[in-house]
Amino acid sequence: MDLFDATSSERESATYDAPQPRKGFFTDTTLCIGCKACEVACKEWNQLPADSTGFSGESYDNTGALNGTTWRHVAFIEQLRGGAAAAAAPEHASVVHAEGSRWLMESDVCKHCTHAACLDVCPTGSLLRTEFGTVVVQADVCNGCGYCVPACPFGVIDKREDNGHAAKCTLCYDRLKDGETPACAKACPTESIQFGDLDELHRRADERLAKVRANEHFHDASLYLRGDDDGIGGGGAFFLLLDKPEVYGLPPDPIVSTRALPQMWRAAAKAALVLVALTAAAALGSRR
Amino acid sequence: MSASYYGRPIVKPHVWKPYVPWYFWIGGAAGAASVQCVAARARREHGLATVQKRAALACMIVAPVLLIADLGVPSRFYNMLRVFKPTSPMNLGTWIVTAFAGALGASTAAEILGWNRTSRALEVAAALLGPPLTVYTAVLLADTATPVWHESYETLPFVFAASGVAAAGAIGCAFAPPAETRFARTLMVAGALALPVTGQVMEHRLGPLLSEPYRIGVAGGYTRASAALACAGAAIGLFGRKSRTATRLAAACVAGAGIFERFAVTAAGRQSALDPKYVVESQRKRRA
Repeated sequence: MDLFDATSSERESATYDAPQPRKGFFTDTTLCIGCKACEVACKEWNQLPADSTGFSGESYDNTGALNGTTWRHVAFIEQLRGGAAAAAAPEHASVVHAEGSRWLMESDVCKHCTHAACLDVCPTGSLLRTEFGTVVVQADVCNGCGYCVPACPFGVIDKREDNGHAAKCTLCYDRLKDGETPACAKACPTESIQFGDLDELHRRADERLAKVRANEHFHDASLYLRGDDDGIGGGGAFFLLLDKPEVYGLPPDPIVSTRALPQMWRAAAKAALVLVALTAAAALGSRR
Repeated sequence: MSASYYGRPIVKPHVWKPYVPWYFWIGGAAGAASVQCVAARARREHGLATVQKRAALACMIVAPVLLIADLGVPSRFYNMLRVFKPTSPMNLGTWIVTAFAGALGASTAAEILGWNRTSRALEVAAALLGPPLTVYTAVLLADTATPVWHESYETLPFVFAASGVAAAGAIGCAFAPPAETRFARTLMVAGALALPVTGQVMEHRLGPLLSEPYRIGVAGGYTRASAALACAGAAIGLFGRKSRTATRLAAACVAGAGIFERFAVTAAGRQSALDPKYVVESQRKRRA
């Protein structure tokens, strides 16, 4: 028996009477213009308080990172390159090649992993997989133990300071229930954030990748979390990237830690036996 | 230097307060103490057995307070016990703690009522749950995306087992009748020596990059303090056998070594999450 399957959170989606096609986001970073409409729409719809109002000095990014009250985050990467990359590709709005530089922008979000570590490790059952295949925190069940925070391989989920429980993107579960598009995708003016059935998004992304790669400046373009052969079984949210994942603050080879859970318990069992053996040996070996 | 997004963390560090490393030590000590209690009974050293039992019970009164105080929404602590969820080491751990404390409390109640055979049987039940209680916290930490915790899942349980044995041995040495400290002293010295040894093995297996968080910053200080106290405690424990004061000094050193070790592990995890190079370089190496 494959223990990975036995401990996998993926199966939980099968418990619904009327399962929906799996929904997700395809974030095409080549189309992002860094307007942050997604960040604003997300805050508005989900009634999330402002949390970063300072000036970071990190390009146009004053948001910094995803956290409990920021569920969309636009990254800005300024790259100074040699003259070779200077020729502009006008159809790629976000990638401004001028005098040897380029400017990458990417709207980051919860990946809604196929094998979700946050969901696996949650001790209360507060995190659940919805009928849409997304991963959602039940705010009224979470007791704020914080275990999901270091468990997430993307550093997405976080404990909220104001109410003490964990929070992250719900893929607008409430809007999905009513057949609506999530707020960020609705607000995106360039269709950099595309919402839909995951199968359909995969098809669109493959087409788009072929088109982007045909341009000589974007041979390195890749789809991130598109497949099901990575360490999280693929993302419900996946991305078209023009550079290595770590350039965008994403892990190059994320894995769900629960995958090694059987080996972890085996190692712990050995240590427990050593503890007992050591105590027994000392009890027998020490003089009275 | 690997690429990163403005040097920002990729994974989030844990959000636990110092209650949690304190709990790791207290829970580990209680688990090992329950085993030493039963072993002492077998040696007919009832004074020592009683000390270990009282110490374990005291630990189990403090432990839930520490765990609940750390929650974001403490009033919902019981949500941990509304589900049985084997994919969550924290959920399993909560059940282990509950069962262990229950057995120990019931044993003490039976003892007060004069039901000695029931009391002894429940001591054995607690001793069966004790080793899992001592080592499950290592699985809890390893089942995260925190680089130094996850990558040490094979060795970390042995560090925690050593710390537990040393702590319980120290409790026995400090409080048992002087005629009954021989067995406890053996375990205290063996555990104290095993603590830096298992720690070194763990660092060696982590490799030069991922062991770095144990050598630098706050975690480096805790690691060195732990090793120094462990060696001092073992030496004083071995050569100060005749003196009650020296024995108690040794016990205090060994207890301190274990506490510093738990804080070292907690802090090293935090340091390894905050610097993206540990995530990126270890994942790049895995893929290569």
